[in-house]
Formats: sequence, structure tokens, C-alpha cells
Amino acid sequence: MDAINGVTISIILFGIGFVGLVLRRDLVVKLLALGLINSAEILCLVSLVSRDSGAPPILGLAPTAQLVDPLPHAIVLSAIVINFAILALALVFVMLLVERYHTIDSARIERETATEEETWN
Amino acid sequence: MKRKKTVLLGIAAVTLSACFCAVAILGFDFRGPRTEPIDPWIVAAEALGTQNIISAIYLNVRLFDTIIEVLVFAIAALGVRYYLTARGRRREADAIPESRVVRVAADVLLPPIVLLGIYIVLHGHLSPGGGFAGGVIAGTGLLLAAIALGTETVRSRISSSVLEWVEWAVLCGIIVLAVVPVTLSRPALANPIGPGTMGRLLSGGTTLLYSMLIGVKVFVGSWVIVRRFIDHRGEI
Repeated sequence: MDAINGVTISIILFGIGFVGLVLRRDLVVKLLALGLINSAEILCLVSLVSRDSGAPPILGLAPTAQLVDPLPHAIVLSAIVINFAILALALVFVMLLVERYHTIDSARIERETATEEETWN
Repeated sequence: MKRKKTVLLGIAAVTLSACFCAVAILGFDFRGPRTEPIDPWIVAAEALGTQNIISAIYLNVRLFDTIIEVLVFAIAALGVRYYLTARGRRREADAIPESRVVRVAADVLLPPIVLLGIYIVLHGHLSPGGGFAGGVIAGTGLLLAAIALGTETVRSRISSSVLEWVEWAVLCGIIVLAVVPVTLSRPALANPIGPGTMGRLLSGGTTLLYSMLIGVKVFVGSWVIVRRFIDHRGEI
């Protein structure tokens, strides 16, 4: 019943990341916020199964009654790699946008694409 | 108008977070003993002969999940390679001379880092770690070498076209290794090598094999991604 545990911290981090992702106009800051959300998810999944008297899920390290649930750890392992891949690919797309529009401001990029569509029509 | 919307969204986010926090505080008991049943995972790990239950899950029970994940990683590396190659090298940035401290530290640290990566890959079935973690550690070691020695030196010593072939060959190897038992109508979860003695390096059967293949794949893949960014910029 601790007020400060991994889950609450991860929810707060998720809130910070979400607000940054939605409200900031800088594309690189948006990507950083996405990374923060990813880290918050990882912290949440791992701390959901943590116990005060728990042991790492490795056989022979502790009696099996003390081992924590290994399933979230296995999921987190996938999440970390996919996060890295997504961030790398998103960074490349940001680089493409910057080369074309010479700005990382998402609102300005939207305005310029809108004027481009008007000139096409 | 815009400011009002921002404030409203902020208040909504804070309220929602507070609700979730309340649920988290009231709903979870982190002091007590574990309540989730983990017996199936322990049985699987013992049948496979791996001490680390997590590697028994992601390299045996959820093997196809992991293979798709490796595939996603490979596709992301391919995307980075495709888009950055299409743009070409933009400009030759001035090489920033690294200080003596960084160069000496990189020289000293590079062998231990690569050795640690190999150790973590090989002991993935015994201790925390495995192919993903070890591969990323070794790949970051190469990045350190690129920072310290200069990208030209590292690029001339490591043939990147060979590395990209190695990446896809290892990926094909993992897929074939996992799919062949299915087509031969043997259960994919079977362990043809045998569990071995639990706790020894040569135990865990196919887990060690998959761990090594994934380690090579992630090592090459992370280096390929980083190298494409370096090439694009001209210098770190």
C-alpha cells in the first residue's frame, strides 16, 4: 500500500510523455516523449510483478515460492527491442521531413503540406 | 482558444493519471507473496534444462513470437538503410577531434565491453541477459570504437556489405531452425539436443543456439543502424 511504487511512478511518467507527445510541436521532442512512454510501460510491467520478498525468476536462486512471475519480463524483452527499432525508423522519417521542409515544427510542416495540396489542386 | 484547450487537456491528463494512481495504490499489494501461478513456466524451464525461466519462455514457449520480433527489428534496420541510402551523404561535417581521455578510455574499454557482450549472450540461459542484451552491448562497443578511432578507420576495417549479408543469413537460419521441425510434423517446442545438466554452460539445448543466433543478429543490426546514421552525417 505504498503511495510511491513502480506502478504509480510509471503512470506519472506516462502522463508526462503523453502530454509531451501531444502538445509539443518539436518533432524530436515528440520522439523523446515517445521514448519516455516506452520506458514507463517497461517500468509498469516489471514493477507489477515485483514483490518485497521476491527473487529473480532463475531456478536454484531461491525457493520457487519466492520467484516472481517471469511472463512480464519476457514481454518487456520484446518491447525494448521493438522500441529501439521504432525510434530509429521514426528518427529517419523526421530527418526526411527536415530535409524537405527545413523545420522540425510539426505545425509548420502541416501548414506547408496544406499549401502544397492547394497548389496541386 | 488554443491555450484554453491546452489547459483542459492538461487537467484531463492529470485527473486520469490520479485515478490510475489511486487504482494502482489500492489495487496492488507489493508486500505480500506472489499470487500468480508460475508452475507451467517452471515445468517448461526444467524440461528444457534452462536455469533462467525467462529465456525458457521467450526462446521456447513463445519462440515464434520472438522470431516475428526479430523480423520487425530486421525490417526497421532495412527501412533505415533504404531511406538513408536514398538520400545519400549530405555533407562532409568537420571531424570533431576527440580528446585524449576519450580515445584512451575507448581503447581500454573496448575489449572488456565486447567480451561482456559475448559472455551475456552465452550465459543467457543461466543468468539475466541473452541474445538481445548481449548483442546490443557488443554493438554499442563498436559505436564507442567509432567515436574514438574515427568513423573512417572503423568503416575501412569492417566490411558493411558482408555484415548486412550476415544479418539476413542469420535471420534465415533462425526461421529455418524454427520452422523445419513443424514441417517435419514434430512439435516445434521439442528440444532435439536434450536438456543437459542444469546450470552448466552447455545445457538448455536449442536455447543456447537461438541465443547465439539472436545475439549475432542484434549485434549486426544495431551496428548497421548506427553506421547508417553516421554515414549520413559524415561524422559522429
